Amino acid sequence: MIKPKTTQPNRDSVTTIRDDGSRLFLHPSDVKGRFTAMRRWSGWFLIAFYLALPWIPVGGHPAVFLDIADRRFHLFGLTLAFQDAWLLFFGISGLGFSLFFVTALLGRVWCGWACPQTVFLEHVYRRIERWLEGDAIARRKIDAAPWTTLKAFRRGLKQVIFFAVSAVIAHLFLAYYVSIPELWSMMSTQPGEHWSAFVFVLVFTTVLYFNFAWFREQLCLIICPYGRLQSVLIDDHTMVIGYDEKRGEPRGKAGAPDAGACVDCNRCVQVCPTGIDIRQGLQIECIGCAACVDACDTVMDKLDRPRGLVRYDSQEGLTGGKTRWLRPRTLVYAVLMLIGACVATWAATTVRPAALAVTRMVGAPYYLDHEGVRNQLLVRLVNKTDQPARFVVTVDAGNQLVHQTGINQVVEIAPLAEQVQPLILQVDREHYTGPFELKVHVVDEAHTFELERTVEFIGPHPSMMGETEEPAK
Amino acid sequence: MKPKDSIPPRDDEERVRHHVFDGIQEYDKRLPNWWLLTFYGAIVFAIVYWMADQHFSKETNESRVAVELQRIEAAKLNSSDANLDDATLWKMSRNPVFIADGKQVFNTNCAACHFASLRGKSESPLAIGPDLTDNEWLYGTGHPIELLHTVANGTTKGMPAWGPVLGAKKVSQAVAYVLSKHEEPAAE
Repeated sequence: MIKPKTTQPNRDSVTTIRDDGSRLFLHPSDVKGRFTAMRRWSGWFLIAFYLALPWIPVGGHPAVFLDIADRRFHLFGLTLAFQDAWLLFFGISGLGFSLFFVTALLGRVWCGWACPQTVFLEHVYRRIERWLEGDAIARRKIDAAPWTTLKAFRRGLKQVIFFAVSAVIAHLFLAYYVSIPELWSMMSTQPGEHWSAFVFVLVFTTVLYFNFAWFREQLCLIICPYGRLQSVLIDDHTMVIGYDEKRGEPRGKAGAPDAGACVDCNRCVQVCPTGIDIRQGLQIECIGCAACVDACDTVMDKLDRPRGLVRYDSQEGLTGGKTRWLRPRTLVYAVLMLIGACVATWAATTVRPAALAVTRMVGAPYYLDHEGVRNQLLVRLVNKTDQPARFVVTVDAGNQLVHQTGINQVVEIAPLAEQVQPLILQVDREHYTGPFELKVHVVDEAHTFELERTVEFIGPHPSMMGETEEPAK
Repeated sequence: MKPKDSIPPRDDEERVRHHVFDGIQEYDKRLPNWWLLTFYGAIVFAIVYWMADQHFSKETNESRVAVELQRIEAAKLNSSDANLDDATLWKMSRNPVFIADGKQVFNTNCAACHFASLRGKSESPLAIGPDLTDNEWLYGTGHPIELLHTVANGTTKGMPAWGPVLGAKKVSQAVAYVLSKHEEPAAE
């Protein structure tokens, strides 16, 4: 048997960085098993989902279309305008709480099963490598072989395919922001007509290519902050991937007396995509991919020993205890997540297909003349839909007698357009009793929603109103 | 967590850093070469950029500011009323396209006080703005350019400054619409 040319992992150093600082390029062995199969299916599903979203029309727009140019964000039929950007708060904090909750409960399932880094690396790039260069042993042989025309051709072909795949991913990423028809029109015209998009795709493709062709697990180990948070987010009852030390130790050959279940075959190390030995316990490098679980189960099956020497379990479960799923940490995270979800749902229902703002015009806050007190306001109405809309604007001043000019009819606004109109309010001298509040209402013609803004009618104290000092024109 | 004594002793104890905090020590490992490359690369880039930008560049901060100010000035001149004069405004006021655009601007923004008829106080004593169809002007003597400045900059009696709200183009259109209700005086 050919010994894999990897240094044996230890807990004091990162396997993929040699003592001299150079990179040890990992070639994880092939692995078969139930988790590997499930991950392949879920990985393909996620990739298909990612690739399909810009193509599926929902309510006349792509399912996800973050239209930066027009500042409209289409999400599965819901259209948000830039005025609704505050909802991002719930998106981001919701993501945070979901991550806390899932990590406390199930460890780093995100890393192993759903992170784009893992999904694209394991199910696209590594598969291409496997198909072109063979299994881990063959790949290491090619690595060690001297450069020949054949090796240069094979390696070159691999890099070209990697770059092409990266270009596809980058183009579809751009489609999330410009939509497929626009992407297509950009692709069929000269780069000079859309430099910024071209440079973006070029840079993004290069970054993806570099990441997936060479950088790989270094991103998880050194750049990604999530792994570093592992130690504060999980506890002894969190489900992680671990090695049953009580059952496995001491390691020994299959027939040896007094030996534990582990035959020290090193399969769990060979298949690890981050180059650790899971038998040394939970480590920051573990992305929870379960490759070692499948590898060990295969060996245990061959030896007619029960599976699960390396398995999904909590630290407590691995040391013979019982995993508690309900514990303060998971409950608090769950409650916080639910509160956030409720508030986010409520907030999303307050989104209206129009925006209204009432501001005071530039100039004096109020005008006083022989007739009365005047306030001059600007009403800004934004139609957030992609249909022309008609709005009815009314002023509700309670029991105050206010002459209102400016907006006294139905306002029609083109799709995605905005209109600014003056609103002049005047109170006659004999009716003026001092500053008061009034409301500006906007309803659409079909009365499906209503918007309201409160503004203050400003003026002097009634006792300060002198006699007419303005000559009538 | 494993108790400290269960970690096997290492053969390279000399590579442990001397600094101790709460009994915790740190191995003195080499950084990844790719990481060092980004670090030294950033230093080299900084020096090159500094030299190219500060010492070997023909441009100075002052010249850059001057160029940028000229660009802003050009944009302002392009979109402003600076190159409008009485003759141009009169000409605009005879152009049906300008009048149509100006009417729309006027009805949306100006009719609140001056009425769609432009007659303001002459039409109704409740009106806020004065009559714009007669030849009596509160500000200036009826020259189009004075009217333009009144609309763009506002007055202290309540006429708002429309320049910042509407932009120079719409202001000139509205002025052209008002002038279309007047006769251009014969050669002055």
